[in-house]
Amino acid sequence: MLQTLPAAAATDEAPPRPILQLVGVRKVFGGFAAVEGIDLDVREGEFLTIVGPSGSGKTTLLRMLAGMDQPSEGNITLRGELINDMPPNKRPTCLVFQSLALFPHKSVGENIAFALKVKGVDAATRKKRALELMRIVRLPDNYHDKNVMKCSGGERQRVALARAFAYDPEVLFFDEPLSALDYKLKKALEKELKDLHRETGKTFIYITHSLEEAMVMSDRIGVMRAGKLVQVGTPEEIYGAPVDRFVSEFVGEVNTLKMKRAGAEWHGVDVPGTFTLSPPKDGASLDEAFVVIRPEYMRFLAPGERADNQLTGTVYNEYSLGSRIQYQIRVGEKVMLAELSRARALAPGASAEVTIGWDAADAFTLGS
Amino acid sequence: MATTPAVARRRTNTLIWIWTVFVLVAVYLPIVCGALASFNKSRYFGFPIKIYATEWWQKTLDSIEIGMLVRNSIAIALLVTVISVVIATFGALAFARYDWKGRRLYQKLIVLPIFFPQPVLGLALLLGFNAVGIQTSWLTAVFAHLVWIVPVVTLVIAIQVYGFDPSLEEAAYDLGCTRTQVFREVTLPLLWPGIWSGMLFAFLLSWSNFPLSLYTAGADSTIPKWLYAKMVAGYTPMVPALGTMATLGAASLLLGGGLVMLLLRRRQPA
Repeated sequence: MLQTLPAAAATDEAPPRPILQLVGVRKVFGGFAAVEGIDLDVREGEFLTIVGPSGSGKTTLLRMLAGMDQPSEGNITLRGELINDMPPNKRPTCLVFQSLALFPHKSVGENIAFALKVKGVDAATRKKRALELMRIVRLPDNYHDKNVMKCSGGERQRVALARAFAYDPEVLFFDEPLSALDYKLKKALEKELKDLHRETGKTFIYITHSLEEAMVMSDRIGVMRAGKLVQVGTPEEIYGAPVDRFVSEFVGEVNTLKMKRAGAEWHGVDVPGTFTLSPPKDGASLDEAFVVIRPEYMRFLAPGERADNQLTGTVYNEYSLGSRIQYQIRVGEKVMLAELSRARALAPGASAEVTIGWDAADAFTLGS
Repeated sequence: MATTPAVARRRTNTLIWIWTVFVLVAVYLPIVCGALASFNKSRYFGFPIKIYATEWWQKTLDSIEIGMLVRNSIAIALLVTVISVVIATFGALAFARYDWKGRRLYQKLIVLPIFFPQPVLGLALLLGFNAVGIQTSWLTAVFAHLVWIVPVVTLVIAIQVYGFDPSLEEAAYDLGCTRTQVFREVTLPLLWPGIWSGMLFAFLLSWSNFPLSLYTAGADSTIPKWLYAKMVAGYTPMVPALGTMATLGAASLLLGGGLVMLLLRRRQPA
C-alpha cells in the first residue's frame, strides 16, 4: 500500500491524499490538556506552519508528530499507517530543534553525515553526500572539517538543515529554529527555507510564535490557542477571514469594537452610535458581535467625506512605522489605531480633532 | 595626603603577591619538609639536617613489605575508580536528566555520605561486615571506599550532565540511532570530560584514604595505613620517603590527567 502511492505529484483536480493525518489528538500532562481535539490533514509536499503564543501547545504537538511524545488520545497516521507509538528513530520524519542540537564534538561534515554513519554507510560515501548537501544549503566545501561550534548562527542553521536532509525524511519538522537570529538574517533564511522547500518537494511542518514568519513561508497556516487548533487556512484566509478575535489580533494590531444588536440596528458598546456591519463570514445570526478593523483600513475623513461608519476623536500619539505613520486616536474611553503613509501625514499640531471611518466591507464581523 | 591611582594599584598588587606567597608556603612547606626528612641520613628527624642521603629512598624501593602495600593501594584505587565511575555515570544521568518520583530524595541521600565523619563510617562498616560474617580484607576496603567516593564522583559527573542539552540525545534518536548508538555517539563523548575528572577524583581519593582503610582493610595494609602505623611505632625516614613518593605519584597522575584532557580537546575539529 505504501509503494503504490504516487510520488508528490499534486494535481489540481483531486486533492492528494494526506501524508500525515491527525484525528482527535490529545495530550494530557498530569491532568492538564496541553493539546486537545486536534484534527488535521497535512498534504504531501506542503509547507504548513503552526502558529500560536508560547504555551499554546504547538511544541507538544510537534513532539508527538516527531515521536518524542505519545498522544494520550487520538490517532496520528502517516500515509495511512498508525504511528502513535512509533519511536523517532523508526519514523521517516526529522525534527530541526529550536536549539538546533548540533553535536558539539563533531565537525560540520560529521554532523551532516550523522544519519548516514548510523545507517552504516562508509566514510567516503558519507563525505560525498555531506558535500552535496552542503552545496544545497549553500555552505562552502571547506567547512566540511570545521568545528561546528565555530560556525556563525546562520551557518549553524544550514548545518542543522543539511543534517536533517541527510536522513532523507518524508516530513521535516521545524521547532522555531530561526527564533534566535537577528532580523535581517532571519528574513534571508526564511526565503532560503522556502526555496529549499520548493526544490526538495518535501513536506515541511514549521512551528513559530511569529505569524509574520508564517505568512512569508507557508502554503497553509494553523493557528493554535490553549491547546486547540483555532483555524487552518492559507495565509490569505488567515489574514482576510479570521474566525475570531484571537486570530485577527494574532495577525497584527487591530481595532476591535463590541456591538449589540437592537432589532435591525447595531449599537456600539465601547463607542456611541449605530453602525453598519458586514454579515459574519459563517452566516451566523448574532445578537452581540465584535467588529475588527485593521489600522490600514481605517481612513481619515476630510470634511464632507463619507464612510459607512464614522467616529470622532482626538489624536494623542503617533508612531513612525517607517514608510507609514500610525496614529492613536482616543474616542471616548476607546483608543483606535489608524495609519497614513508618510507623504500624507497629518501636519504636526494640526487640529487634534479628527474624524475616522471605515466601510463595512473592510471590516470583519466576528461572533467571538 | 591623597594616594594616586598608580600608587594604590601598586599597593594592591603587592598585597596580592604577599598573600599568594603566604598561602603557597603554608600549603607546600609541610610537603617539602616531609621530602627533606626522607633525605636525612640519620634515623631520627631533626633540623637542621646534618648529612643528606638517599639510602632511605633506596630501602623503601627495595622493601618487599612496602611493595605489597603499594600494590594493595593501587589495586583498591583502580577497582574503586572503575566501579564508582560506572555507578556514578548512570546515577548522575538518572538524577540530572530524568524526572522520576523520588529523584530529589535520591539526590540528597546520595550526597549525604560525603559529610559523614569517615572514622564513624568506617567503624559502622566494620561492624556491619562483622555482623554478616564477612572477613575484612582489601576487598572490603574497596566497598568502604565506594560508599564514600561514589557520591563525590556522582556530583562531579552530574555537573557535566547538567551542562549538556538533552535535545542532543533526542536529535540523535530522531536521526535513526538506537538507544545504544545514542549513548555511544553522543552521551558518552560529551560526558567524557566529566567522567575523566570523576576517574581522577575516585583514584586519588581512594589512594589517600586513611580512616576507611584503617577500619575495613583488615590485615591488608595500604600506604596511608602503613604511614600511620610506622608513625605510632617504628619510625624511620622510610615513612616520609614513602609519603613523598605517594604525593609525587598523585601529582603526576593529576598532571597526566590534565594532559590527556588537553589532548582530547585538541582532537576536536578545528
